[in-house]
Parts: sequence; structure tokens; C-alpha cells
Amino acid sequence: MSWTNIRLIVSREVRDQLRDRRTVFTIVVLPLLLYPLLGTTFLQMAQFLQEHPTRVLVLGAEHLPAAPPLLEDGQLAPELEQDDRLLELDVRASPSKTTPADVVGEAQRLIEQGKYDAVVYFPENFRERLEAYRARSDDEDAAEEAAQPPSPQIYFNAAKDKSRIAHDRVTALLRRWRELVVQRNLERHQVPASATEPFELALRDMAPETGRRAVVWSKILPFVVLIWALTGAFYPAVDLCAGEKERGTLETLLCSPARRSEIVWGKLLTVMIFSMATSLLNLASMGVTGAIILRQVEAAAPGGIALGAPPLLAVVWLLLALVPIAALFSALALAIAAFARSSKEGQYYLMPLLMITLPLMMLPMFPGAELDLGSSLIPVTGVMLLLKALIEGEYAEALLYAPPVILVTAGCCLLAIRWAVDQFNNESVLFRESERFGLVLWARRLVRDREDTPTFGQAILCGVLLLSIRFFASFLAAAPETWTDFAVSTLVLQVALIATPVLLMTIVLTRSPKKTLLLTAPRPLTLPAAVLLAIALHPLVVVLSKGIQMLYPLGEGTREQLTQITSILNEAPLPYLLLVLAVVPAICEELAFRGFILSGLRHLGHRRAAIVISSIFFGVTHGVLQQSLSACAVGVILGYLAIQTGSLLPCILFHMTHNSLAVLAGFLAPDAAERPWAEWMFQSVGDGEYIYSTPVVALGGAASLLLLMWLRGLPHDSSPEERRQHALEHQTAGAAP
Amino acid sequence: MIHVRELTKAYADLERGQVVALAGVSFDAHPGGIYGLLGPNGAGKTTLLRILSTMLQPSGGAATINGANVLTQPALVRRQIGFVSANTAVYDRMTAWEMVEYFGRLHGIPRENLTPRMEGLFDRLQMNEIRDLLGAKMSTGMKQKVSIARALVHDPPVLIFDEATVGLDVLVARALMSTVAELRDQGKCIIYSTHIMREVERLCDRVAIMHRGHILAEGTLDELRSQHGQDDLEELFFQLITSHDGPSRRRGEEAVRSFAGRNS
Repeated sequence: MSWTNIRLIVSREVRDQLRDRRTVFTIVVLPLLLYPLLGTTFLQMAQFLQEHPTRVLVLGAEHLPAAPPLLEDGQLAPELEQDDRLLELDVRASPSKTTPADVVGEAQRLIEQGKYDAVVYFPENFRERLEAYRARSDDEDAAEEAAQPPSPQIYFNAAKDKSRIAHDRVTALLRRWRELVVQRNLERHQVPASATEPFELALRDMAPETGRRAVVWSKILPFVVLIWALTGAFYPAVDLCAGEKERGTLETLLCSPARRSEIVWGKLLTVMIFSMATSLLNLASMGVTGAIILRQVEAAAPGGIALGAPPLLAVVWLLLALVPIAALFSALALAIAAFARSSKEGQYYLMPLLMITLPLMMLPMFPGAELDLGSSLIPVTGVMLLLKALIEGEYAEALLYAPPVILVTAGCCLLAIRWAVDQFNNESVLFRESERFGLVLWARRLVRDREDTPTFGQAILCGVLLLSIRFFASFLAAAPETWTDFAVSTLVLQVALIATPVLLMTIVLTRSPKKTLLLTAPRPLTLPAAVLLAIALHPLVVVLSKGIQMLYPLGEGTREQLTQITSILNEAPLPYLLLVLAVVPAICEELAFRGFILSGLRHLGHRRAAIVISSIFFGVTHGVLQQSLSACAVGVILGYLAIQTGSLLPCILFHMTHNSLAVLAGFLAPDAAERPWAEWMFQSVGDGEYIYSTPVVALGGAASLLLLMWLRGLPHDSSPEERRQHALEHQTAGAAP
Repeated sequence: MIHVRELTKAYADLERGQVVALAGVSFDAHPGGIYGLLGPNGAGKTTLLRILSTMLQPSGGAATINGANVLTQPALVRRQIGFVSANTAVYDRMTAWEMVEYFGRLHGIPRENLTPRMEGLFDRLQMNEIRDLLGAKMSTGMKQKVSIARALVHDPPVLIFDEATVGLDVLVARALMSTVAELRDQGKCIIYSTHIMREVERLCDRVAIMHRGHILAEGTLDELRSQHGQDDLEELFFQLITSHDGPSRRRGEEAVRSFAGRNS
């Protein structure tokens, strides 16, 4: 790759974008106008809402006691007159001989018609009952008479915002009045008013003023920066890829000596520049507008929430985090935009991209979200949480989790960039032409044009299909209660819901089931090697899954389910247990994941990516997240085994051995304390749980390494795409003739 | 200079299934000559030239340009060719000078050599008045001139023109053809694809007549005329194509032709 070419491409693309009026408008002008505009609207709306008075109808005012007064001459009594301008009272005597039902009907009608926001009704005898209730405490005999305090009715409609506000205001008013009544009652009994408040709560917020500000900003700022980084990346990406395809200039660039990777890097850096610029301009514009609005709000109502400017250091952290995030979003946007045929098609892809990234950005906004090892491994979310910790000044914590966040983000960036480069190396993406599409045509073509092994798309489809079947099956099947239930549901899942669809797809979609499902005889030595590898790796896998469970502890519900299943399994006879948990899954899952799916994925041209994607599918089908992660790791080994041996048989043996050992360990380990020979193999980790002892794990690891090195040396087949990719990566070019 | 052996290209089409765009094409082209590819629309000319310019990968066969393999050494191949096609457009938001300069720089020409070279090119192609004009404001003819300047800026030994006169008026097309002839005289190896007989007659030293992914006939114009006993190139072209398509199709086309003849 030549840096000069990349720099040339970047400077051209940036100049090109800056000469485009639409881009300049969205990136520079829009944020500069948008926030002041939004701010003005907000201020006006807030004023409007605040000053909007509530209209309340008071019925039965004649039943009110004379003292303490609630109303005087149809107006609020002076003692209560705090927010009189917000309450517009309309006082009416209740018509004689009304039943409560009449009042309800009338109130409903009036609120429905919008004449009043709420109706307050003081029932007949309100005054007398109030008096009687007070007298109850003086006079034991009166107790019978007034067991219940009188209750004025407030009619409102919670489905209407205005009515809900009216409800709040009226309730607050009546509470204040009730306090007056209480005070009066106390006075009559010569009890001092202080008796109602025997102690007073003293609230002391330990957070410094800057800390309180940081908490608010640490939630808002990362979100604003990220969302604009994504938007700012998307539009230039569409213009630089799909737009150039449309205008015909992409082909001009492709026949220049610039390499595809240089073109992608050039475009990527351009998109990144715009992504960052959009984000920063929006941040600046929002900051300035926000500061002005806050000053106005504070001037209007002093003593409110004092949200000053964000700490300066926060801005520095944001700028630092913006670089990798912009890189990630730019690469994603570029790969997606490269796929689109036209700008219009490109715009359609914004929604799916948002649907994937938005939840990751929203996750850290939830109150309970904390930076820990688990959350730091989630892309985007980790960065946001790290930023939050940095802005809040929790440096020790941030420093601890910065490495995983940086690693994950860098990994995601590299993958996304790789994807973008692949898109540019894929002629069917670059020269996609519109063709007539029909479902029947498409289905016919699938069968007519099938190849020896499934295509990349079919492999992904198969994986997604298996996942969705599993997802729906998990709703249909009840939790097993007996061993027979468990065995039947496992066998149905494996045979009917995994193996059968895969075999059907193989027959319909491919020409050579033998090549697709790797049904070839392997070298004889690979079979014992596979078994040995499974045995050697087993202690490591156990350590790994224990480690994962420490990172992401099992939920209470899942733990209970697992305990229940374990107790069911303990009743089962061992041979059946091995059949259901080891033999059948080994065959069915290998046919699916190392057979159909891996064979299809190898059309990608990247062997490692094919292995990783197939093992992700393999992992996810295991349902529980903690199991998925370790299954994923085992899947990588299985994928490697399949490619190096070219046969499914070693994979089945490995899988069978691996599962059998898990079953057997469950039987052996609990008695470890009683068996002297098992003492050096197992060590207790408390709670009656055992893991392998360190020497066993180390020995297993060393043996696995040796076996894997031996496998690496085996001659193996490459797919045509992998051979081409290899040639491209090792081409002798660059120097002029 | 250019060796093409048994080049095939097939791609999947939803409606037609596996479509063979090139069915084993072989030919050689040499420096100082113009090799013409003559064929109707859909003959596979653009696919062939896109493979030679490394934008598409062949499904089978091999092609080398100046010794560089198009499949495994695409970057090296692209340094040796200048590609002008109806599909290689000009940037809308760049001036003629900026555009040519950009591609010159991508070819790694140092600035001090690039400016005199571009001055020469702009003089030769009479582009000085559009030097600072944005691509969006140019006429089709002006754009084609910029494309040619762009393809020539690194002085490549091989030039590929794919239907380069499409959409040009007679004056501009003539000027383009004289530029191509000049380049041949400078010793460039040129591939020139077209569906216009007169251009082939005026320019090409050797011609391959392509149809449906096959080369039906190949040779100098005189060889073709004597081999098929037909002096008129258009008649010869028509004969070859109809005999390749088979009798049933020939009857249909004859009917169309007689109908067209009556109406002309």
C-alpha cells in the first residue's frame, strides 16, 4: 500500500465533498442552524406550557367548612394563594337532589368536551362529616358514627396531558388545605403544631458541584457524539461509493494503478474526516445553544437545576474516543455503501445500520449500566461506558477496563475495514446490475445453478435458519421434567430441527453432498489425533467456561433451570446419556456447522473468517450466553480440524469425545474427594464444584499445541477463492516496468 | 504485448441462468498496431476489455499484458494500460486540469515531470480552453477529451478504447480517431472496440469479429475479405453473425432486413 496514493485520494475526495453543496449544508450549516432553532422552539414551548392555566370546576362548595377557608368569594382563600394564576377555579353550588352518579356523568361530559381539565366535588354533609371525624378522637362514642373520613372527589382523565396536570395541581392544593385543617384540629386539642413533625430529614449531597454536572453530561455527550459520528459517516460514504458508481467515476478510479486497498483507505479516511467534523460541529453548536438556554432558564427560575458547562477534561476524552468510533462507523458505512447500486439504494441501508448500532448506544444510558469486564467487551457500548467513567473522573476504573475496550474497538475496526476492502475486491458488488427479480425465478435458479458446495449466502441463510428454528422451538417446548422428556426433546432438536433441514438444503442446493458435507475418508492418523486433541483440550475448555461464568455470572432463572436439568441427568443411565448428549449432537451439529455452513463460507476466500463465522453460528445455537462463548471457542478448533483434514469424521470424533468428557466429568468430579487417584486431577473451587488441577490443564494445553502443530503440517485443499486471495496478497507489483 | 488465451467469463443471471459472456477467446495484439474488436451490442467486448483492465476476473483462461498476468498482478497491469470507455466518466466536481493531474499523481509521476507532460497533452488534444472548467459543465466531447488525456498521462505502452466514440458528434469522433492513429504511429499497442464498421475500416490493422462471446473471425481486413470472398465489411459481418446464429434465426433476421430494405 502506498501512503502517497492514499493521501492523494483523501485530498481529492475531501475537496470533492466540500464542493458539493448538499454535503456542506448537512455537515456545517445544518448543525449551526439546527440547535439555535431547536433551542428557541424549546424556550417558547416551555413558556407556553408553564403559563397555561388549568381550568377546574368546583362543585358542592356550599358543603365546605367555614374555617379554615378553602374558598373565599369564589376565589382561593388568601392562605392558599400560591399558584393562583395556574388554577382557574369555577365555583358552582351542586344542584339540589343530585346523586353521586349524576355528578360523575356531568364531570365526564365536561372533561370530555374540554370545558374543564378537572372537576372537584365536595359531597353533601362534607362539613358535618369532617367535624364528626375530628370529634371522634375527643369522644369515643362518636367513633361508630364516623369510621370513614369524608372524601372530596377529583375527576380527571389520565389519558389527557392537561387533565393530568390539573389533577396534580388540585391534589397539591387540597393537600395544603388539609394541612391547615390538621393544624386547626391540633390547636383545638392544644397540641403544638410541631407534634406532626417529630424529626426533620437533613439531606447532604456529597457530590461536588462539578461531579453532579459530570453525571448529567456523561450520559448526554457520548450519545450526541456517537450518533452524529454515525450520521456524518453515512452520507459521504454513500456519495463516495454508490454515488460514484451511479456517476460512472468509480470505474475510472478502479482502472487507475491505485490498489483496491488504497482506494478503500482513501475513502475511509475521507469519510472519517467528515464523520468527526459533523460530530464536533454538532457538539459545539449544541454546547453553545445549550449554555445560552440554561442561562435563560436559570435567570427565569433561580435555584433550579444548575447544569453548567461540561468539564473541559470531558471534551478532551470525547475527542480521543471520537477517533476510533468514527473509524468503526466509517468502515461500516463504507462497506454498506459499496454494496449499493445507487445513492437511493444506499439511503435505504441507513435504517438497518441504525437498528444495529442504536441499541448498543442506548444500552449505556440505562441507569444500571456500569463499566465492568463484561460490558467493556461489547462494541460501542464499552466505549460509551469508558467515556462515562472518564467524564465522571473514575480514572482507576477507566484505566482497568481501557485495554479490553481498546482491543474490542480495534478488532471491530479492523473487521469492518477488511469487509469494506473485500467489498471493493468483489466484482459482483462493484458491477451489480439491476435485474428482474421474481421469487419463482429465483427459486428455479437456486436449483438450476447449484454448485458443488453451497454459496456464501446459502451458508449464512442456513445458519440464520437453524437459529430461528431453535428460537421458535424453545418457545414451543416446555421445560423437561423427566429424563425421557429431556431425551426426546434433545433428539427432536438435533435430528429434526438441525440435521434434517441441513440435509434437505444439501440435496436441493448443492451438486455434491460429498464435498459439501466433507464425506471423504480422512488420513487414518487424523482420527486418533482428533480424539486425543479433544481429551487434551478438555481441561482448558473447562477452565475457559468457568472463567466466562465468573465474567458474566449466570442469571438466577438460568441457574435454576440448569440445576433442574442436572438433577434430571443424574437419574439417567450412562450409555443413554452418552447417546443423547454426545453421539447424536456430534453427528447432527457437525453436518450443519462444519459441513454445510463451513463449506459455503469458504467461498469467502478467507479461511480464518470462514472458521470464525461458522463457530459464531455454532456458539449462538447453544442458547445460554455463557455456553455460547465457550462453544464458540470449541467451534474454532472444530473448523480448523475440518479444513486441515478435509473430512467430517475427525470433527465428529472430536465433538463426541468432547461432549462425552463433559458428561463423564460430571460423574467423576463430585466423588473426587473419595478417590485417591483423582486427587491430583481435580481441585475444588468451593460449593462442591471442581475444576482440573493446574498441572492437568498445562499438560493438556501443551499436548493440544503439539497436535495442532501436527495438523497444521497436513496437506489440505483450498477453495478457488482462497487461492485467488492468496495470489492477490502475494502479488509482485508496485514497481513500474 | 497482449496475449489472450482461452479467456472465459461466466456469471449467474436470475433469468437466464449461467450466462457465458466470453466463451474461450484467444488473440494477440502487438505494439504499433491497432487491434479492432468488432461486434454487436452484447458480443462480450466490454467484458473482455474489463478483464484486460483488471476490473473483472476471468472465470477461466489467461491474459497477460506486457508480461503481467491480469488475474494475479492486477496492480502491475494497470500501470501499463490507459483505459478509455463509455463507462469511465469524468468527475463532476473537478476541473479538467485537476482530474488529469490527479491520475498522473496516482501513477506516481513526480510533480516536476507531470506539469510539462500535461502542458504537452493539453496542447496536443486542444484542451487549453477547458482547463479550468468543472466536469459537470463539460459537453460529451470535452469529457471524452479529458478521459483520453487521463488515459495518456502516464504514457502507457497499451491503450484500450472501449466504444470510445459513443455519443460523440462527427467532428469530435474524427478528432478522436486521428488521435488514436497518432498513438499507433508512436508505437503504442492499441485495442479498439466498436460496433461501427467505418471506424474499423479506417483504423484497424487487425480485426476480431465477436459475437455472443466468441471470436468468429480474425485477421487483417484483407485476409478477412479474401477468406470469406466478400469485399463489403458490413456484408461480411452480417454473414458471419447470421451463420453463427443458425438457420432459424437467419430467416427471422432476413425478414427484418428485407423489411428494413423496403422502408429505407
